Amino acid sequence: MGEERQVMIETVDLHKYFKDHHVLKGINAKVFKGEVVAIIGPSGAGKSTFLRCINRLEEPSSGKILIEGVDITSPRVDINKIRSEIGFVFQSYNLFPHLTAIENIKLAPVHVRKIPEKEAEQRGLELLKKVGLEEKAHAYPDQLSGGQQQRVAIARALAMQPHMVFFDEPTSALDPEMIREVLDVMQNLAAEGMTMIVVSHELGFIRAAASRVLVLADGCIIEEGTPNELFNSPKHPRTKEFLSKIL
Amino acid sequence: MERNQVRQSFYQRYREKFGHLSWYKRYEFLLPLVLIIFILGFFLPVARPANACGWFLILFFILFVLLWVIGVLADAEKPRWLRAIAAIGLIFVFALCFYRYSGARWDLFTRTFLNPSMLQGAWSELLLGLEMTLKLAFVSMVISTLLGLIIAVMRSFKNPILEFFLVIYIDFFRAIPLIVLLVFVYYALPFLGIALDPYLAAILAVSLNYSAYVAEVFRSGIESIHRAQVEAARSLGLRPLQAMRLVILPQAVRVVVPPLTGLMVALLKDTALATIIGLPELLYKGIQTMIWKANPTPLVTVALIYILVLLPLTRFSSYLEKRSKKWVKSAR
Repeated sequence: MGEERQVMIETVDLHKYFKDHHVLKGINAKVFKGEVVAIIGPSGAGKSTFLRCINRLEEPSSGKILIEGVDITSPRVDINKIRSEIGFVFQSYNLFPHLTAIENIKLAPVHVRKIPEKEAEQRGLELLKKVGLEEKAHAYPDQLSGGQQQRVAIARALAMQPHMVFFDEPTSALDPEMIREVLDVMQNLAAEGMTMIVVSHELGFIRAAASRVLVLADGCIIEEGTPNELFNSPKHPRTKEFLSKIL
Repeated sequence: MERNQVRQSFYQRYREKFGHLSWYKRYEFLLPLVLIIFILGFFLPVARPANACGWFLILFFILFVLLWVIGVLADAEKPRWLRAIAAIGLIFVFALCFYRYSGARWDLFTRTFLNPSMLQGAWSELLLGLEMTLKLAFVSMVISTLLGLIIAVMRSFKNPILEFFLVIYIDFFRAIPLIVLLVFVYYALPFLGIALDPYLAAILAVSLNYSAYVAEVFRSGIESIHRAQVEAARSLGLRPLQAMRLVILPQAVRVVVPPLTGLMVALLKDTALATIIGLPELLYKGIQTMIWKANPTPLVTVALIYILVLLPLTRFSSYLEKRSKKWVKSAR
């Protein structure tokens, strides 16, 4: 990265309540262009909520979220426009079961970006090739394995040519032998310079691909650093405790 | 010991002789069948019995048949042909007993209710009525489905004010009997300056009534689609209505089609209520013809026409239900 690193995402004092439950307690984070930021932490720490707040799948209770300099919590912002620039990959894939793989991928480009059907199909097939599933273009989600579904979901997110992609525990619902194929796709994406936030406990992947790791516990960022620093010499006792459990 | 042997009953001696033979063991259960046919042929009175003794015999016979049939049908290992015979035999015995002993005057019955000569010149009237019924049903089906869909989609917005009025609408039209609504629309609305002919009044009443049911069916269909589907659609930048149209509704429709066809069958049947406001549909024509001929055969014919039209529809709706169960399973 150059010197004048562009800030893609910035959250300022982000709070989120579910009724009385204080899930996010003032999160300040920055993500620069081309960075891969991994978020780890014990379950219930608010990792997914944090990710979902950034594209307002959950409404943040207070605080600011700046995406490429625009405060998306402002009511004047067209959130659909912002979302179309952010790819989101879910833990449970959430493919549309009534559409084939290629139809899943081209749905948003055709109806949001208004790209002609033919062109969207062409680009969709290229994306499927990229995730290694070009021969499954006309399969329905229930005819695909979990790993294949998740790769289609990644292709679907990439079809909008987003500026950044969020991954919410993309491999947690997968059988062990399918995790690799999904992580490989993500690693290639990271190598291409995509800005990514990944909630994951795949330490191997984090070591290989992440530029920074945030540790979330009880709704606060308790520690951050490069994967090597953090895994080799964690400072915060909760980080130590957490890492000792998953290593 | 010897005494015991002497006291052996006829049945016990008989079992001893044949009971160990495998072919006998296999077909022993057919004995009662032979017995049944025997009694049926020789002992059962051929007409309404004159005394209590005859009635007891009949009652005992029916009970015996019933027990045997239940025994055969309950045993899944019995051959299929035998179970078929048992089922058909039971129906046959009941029908026969009813025919013989109910005291019905069958010739009179046929002449009154199933008299083809009473339909002479009436067919064209009945067919006109059928045409009107089908027209009313079809138009009402289209309107109520569209209206119900729109209401369900509006309810999915979860806007409290909209919700309040829509719930009132749905509850009102689900609670009011269709026949009352028909009378109200036809006889009371003219006082508000809205005078409709019977056809339009019937369309309005049936459509309003059924749109409420359809809205509930669509709502349950929309709610059966997991929230994650909406989130996935919205995360791609689709607007709420786009997510509804492209992602939710196509999935919801597959869930909704079976109960919806069921509703449409009920709608077609309920068009008969439009008779009350003088709409010349099938039932109305049937009643008119009945009065003209002073004979109920036309009404029986009307009933048969209804059944003939509706039977394929009910079969179709069961078929869809089975298919959708399969689909829903594979989608999860």
